[in-house]
Amino acid sequence: MFTFDHVHFYYKKGQPVIDDVSFTIQAGEFVSIVGANGSGKSTVAKLIDGLLLPKKGTVKFHQLDTANPHDLMKIHQQIGFVFQNPEDQFITTTVMDEVLFGLQNIQVPREEMRGRVEASLRAVHMEDYLDAMPHQLSGGQKQRVAIAAILAMRPQMIIFDEATSMLHPEGRKQVLAIMQDLHHQGMTIVHITHHMEEALQAERILLIHEGRLQFDGDPLRFFETVAVTNYQLQLPFQVRLHKTLQLEGPIAVNWKEGIRSQWSIN
Amino acid sequence: MVYQLNNVSVKYSNRTAVRNISCTIEEGKWISVIGQTGAGKSTFVQVLKGLISNIDGDYLIDQRPVKRDAKGQLMVIPEIGFVFQYPEHQLFETTVFKELVFAPKQQGWSHQQISKSISNVLPLLGLAEDILPLAPFQLSGGQKRRVAIASVLMMNPQLLIVDEPTAGLDPVSKAALLQLLKNWQQQESRTIVFVSHQMEDVAEYSDEVIVFHEGCLVKQLDTRSLFLEQPHLLENIGMSLPESIQFLRIVEELAGEKINISSCREQEILDKILPIWRARGLLNV
Repeated sequence: MFTFDHVHFYYKKGQPVIDDVSFTIQAGEFVSIVGANGSGKSTVAKLIDGLLLPKKGTVKFHQLDTANPHDLMKIHQQIGFVFQNPEDQFITTTVMDEVLFGLQNIQVPREEMRGRVEASLRAVHMEDYLDAMPHQLSGGQKQRVAIAAILAMRPQMIIFDEATSMLHPEGRKQVLAIMQDLHHQGMTIVHITHHMEEALQAERILLIHEGRLQFDGDPLRFFETVAVTNYQLQLPFQVRLHKTLQLEGPIAVNWKEGIRSQWSIN
Repeated sequence: MVYQLNNVSVKYSNRTAVRNISCTIEEGKWISVIGQTGAGKSTFVQVLKGLISNIDGDYLIDQRPVKRDAKGQLMVIPEIGFVFQYPEHQLFETTVFKELVFAPKQQGWSHQQISKSISNVLPLLGLAEDILPLAPFQLSGGQKRRVAIASVLMMNPQLLIVDEPTAGLDPVSKAALLQLLKNWQQQESRTIVFVSHQMEDVAEYSDEVIVFHEGCLVKQLDTRSLFLEQPHLLENIGMSLPESIQFLRIVEELAGEKINISSCREQEILDKILPIWRARGLLNV
């Protein structure tokens, strides 16, 4: 569905930012792209969005090529972006206008708009805030409205570019829960993050380091086989616990249950 | 130096931001300030720095009232360093060197004083001298953050206020920065006031915690008491216990015994639990 084919990118020749990266994301997948500050993971996001174009190789969504301006328009209608700072995403004065804005841009028929706005706000549990002003909302609520504005456009894929990193723990939980909901409804989710607890939620992890793809596989294998601290990352608590206590079997995503069951075996 | 607030309130035009705050910030401690957004944390640290000129109540430093201007308004306290959120946004000079010397020059420091301060501050923040001629935009996110903090430490503050200083940093850069701040605080016997929403970091680094809720200072207590004895204070403000402490609790429950720990650092908790785990034959060693 979405393909990076031998993609190279640099700002200055001889100093690659993205160095021969290839991967494919299938419809309905939940993928985390992880890496330290400066690893190139946000450049990958900009290449997906067509904000940057590869110097070599291709970035394609189905058969649409980001390098083709005509295709790029269509890609933008299919892929939504949620950015880091919830403050940066608001351009209107009420929650309803915010969600409407994108629909007006893609010329959705007027009679269809209201239904789409309400449905997308319901999906992020913000239906009671239709007339609220953005500054009255918490960071997590603002991000949820940003997500609703994207959902209203009915994209096939949403990219969360460090969308939880400026949120407080509660807001972070809310946004992660929405990601899971959307994933279960069949949406393709790409989550760019350096929080390993969050990456553990995905079905697949892509590790970018110094512009190269260093790992592509499922999270448990990632934490079992990759020395993550070499990449400025940290093992999630449950993995640290699993290793320290030498727990048997696969790493339990729900570590509390894992501890209890291990204890009761003996 | 000891900083003391007695019954301090701050009112903005139509609301009270903090109400009857009393607390003592003692020298040589890492004190974390926690609470939900809008609980009064930011107003509190702004009062400490003297950024809010009009307060009700008393503010004493070493038992002497802080200076007020002719109109009776509070003045900014120069001995306190203040690092705002995303401090690298405030870097504006063309080189790291110019950035570091900007404030000392304004204060009329001599060349000798300035270079002495630079050679003190760079290693404190894990920065090498070859960074000095570089432009801030050539640096990584973590380096920029450390340069911004270095420029505050140049003035050799007795008390440093840091507001979410690791937001946006990757985990290794974050742990490194907090450890550097901890070293500075301990080696130089300075005071850090640390505003954070990350309970893991609060448990790991602080000596004391100040809990804010709806404009009131609910409690000032040592870190161990908060996480081990009065966790309901966290619940009341919608914060969760760090996972390491939740783990401690589960093992205590399973083992049916209390496990004594002297700090809330994750490593100490794991070190205390390992022998219990081993004794139960759950380790393969």
